Amino acid sequence: MKRIIAPLLVGAALTSGFAADDLAKEVAALKAQMAELQKAQSSINIEALKKQIGEIKAHDAGDNIKWDVDFRAAYDALDYKIGAGMGATGSYDMMAPGMGMFAPTGSSKVKNGIWTNKLILGMGAQPADNLVFKGALGVYKTYGQDNMAQTSMFQDFDWYGTQKPGDATIKLREAYFLYFGDMGDVHYSASFGRRPSVDGFMTNLRADNESPASPVGHNINMEFDGASFKFDVEKITGIAGMYFKICLGRGFSQTTGAYSQAMNGSFNPGYIKDGNNPNMDLAGLLVQLYDNGQYKLMANVFKGWNMMGYGLDITMNPTSMTTGSYTMAGNGFHDVGDMTGASLSLQVNGIGDGINDFLDDSVFFISYAMNKTDPSNKTVNTLTMTGYGLQDASAMGFGGEGMLGSTKDETGSSIYTGIQVPGFMQGHRVGLEYNHGSKYWRSFTYGEDTLAGSKLSTRGDAYEIYYTLPLVGKNLTAQLSYVYMDYDYAGSDMFFGQTGNPSGLMGVMPYVTSASDIRASIRYRY
Amino acid sequence: MKKVIGLLVTAFVVLGLMSTNAMADAAKGQKYYLKYMKNDSGMNGAKFAVQHTQAEWKALFDGKGEKFIAEYSKKFPALEGFFKGDKFAKFMADIKDFCIEYASDSGNVPSC
Repeated sequence: MKRIIAPLLVGAALTSGFAADDLAKEVAALKAQMAELQKAQSSINIEALKKQIGEIKAHDAGDNIKWDVDFRAAYDALDYKIGAGMGATGSYDMMAPGMGMFAPTGSSKVKNGIWTNKLILGMGAQPADNLVFKGALGVYKTYGQDNMAQTSMFQDFDWYGTQKPGDATIKLREAYFLYFGDMGDVHYSASFGRRPSVDGFMTNLRADNESPASPVGHNINMEFDGASFKFDVEKITGIAGMYFKICLGRGFSQTTGAYSQAMNGSFNPGYIKDGNNPNMDLAGLLVQLYDNGQYKLMANVFKGWNMMGYGLDITMNPTSMTTGSYTMAGNGFHDVGDMTGASLSLQVNGIGDGINDFLDDSVFFISYAMNKTDPSNKTVNTLTMTGYGLQDASAMGFGGEGMLGSTKDETGSSIYTGIQVPGFMQGHRVGLEYNHGSKYWRSFTYGEDTLAGSKLSTRGDAYEIYYTLPLVGKNLTAQLSYVYMDYDYAGSDMFFGQTGNPSGLMGVMPYVTSASDIRASIRYRY
Repeated sequence: MKKVIGLLVTAFVVLGLMSTNAMADAAKGQKYYLKYMKNDSGMNGAKFAVQHTQAEWKALFDGKGEKFIAEYSKKFPALEGFFKGDKFAKFMADIKDFCIEYASDSGNVPSC
């Protein structure tokens, strides 16, 4: 037994001796590594690294396009009343009063419920301190297929490409660059592109947009291409927030497309003048007279040249010396004259100063706008009598001359006021708005997102109430709104020629006398 | 159409009663900046907000904003009174949100 145990004990003692040596060596090596690591760590400047990461983040945030999403699903309930008037009969009798071309029509009501999806993809990038790019692509569509292409000739109009529902085509809503600089104490910016020109000052409240787009929403709210040059004169005038902005826009380009065909059958060179409607241009001056964060006073003045009016081809088909049938068909746009306009608007963001939280969190605004026409009085309609050729439409009283249905200079005006206050629970907002337009009031608000037609173009009275509530912070919100328009005249949301006649097309045709739009929507933004 | 409207209005009211949101607001922060700070800082909101990264603003506004108050009272002594008053305490969350929203690394770029 001893012979067995003794060698084992000797072997164990020797083995443990060797193991202790190994362990000591490993511990020493680890200590050396630790010391190296400590030395390396102490040489790292954490603050410098933080700064570097911040710089990288700031750089990356600016030099790539940053996208944001604004998606809304909505249901609009539309209700219209159409007043009595004189409708086209399609036949004439020269011996009858008014040539028998029109006959009385009764009043009627029409209504519809529309589901829509609206997606706006916003873009932004700032590759350099003095250069910015901004853009937005949009799709605004009704649910499913529709017949708009067959029923509405102005459905795809450029002025409201992403502001009136149509098909699933992605359209360009905004794309512009901004170049900034300083001239002494005057900070300036220059910009070209498709403008941020819908849901501007004041109208951003009903649209539930935190920041207004560029123009005064009372009289300009439509998509267009152009340029702007802004000069901040706050430092040299000492007036808080004061700036001037020169705005230029083109609402219509006179050009053929590529491969247009000439009358003689040959092909025209590409993009030449088409000889119909000239370029329609607008130049304006936007002035922020004061802005201290609470009180904001803005004004604009503008002039539009070669405003567009729609012409008609009237064809009479005689069946006897005095009677026959007739047809009317659109013949495109014409220059019907120029128009000037102006506005003055005040917004109070927070009523009083610390009276109570409710007033601090309330917004009130009031605005006045006007417009004046300068008609060219060109004849825009044609009158053809089958078998007798082209007739003098003007002499027959069907020339369609003038602006807004009048051959004289006419002045229109509008007032717009509203208040937005906190709702029943925290984060909720409720708004009330009212506007009134006169007989010849004409705004450029074709891009207002009201399916029943622009309420701010109303020649008469328009009322709106809306309630907005957050569901998931500001990322998911819901809104319920009701707009009611009570028209005193026809032609409120039409073009600038005979279709804008306050008495109806041809001075007699029936028109919508009231319209309402109830909208329930849910909106995702990030 | 009336049934759809009825259903949607009912859903809206229910959602309204269920939703509770206590949140700061960058737009309000901008308003307070313009109203109370711009004159004495001498710079517009965009220039002010890009002085720091989002993480830096968060650190400065930590707690009751002591670090922010210390830094900007030193930079703009005329603002010290505002920073130490009740209004700043009341509006600080909104001003913080505004600074973070438009911080140098926010990727937010100014519009026209």
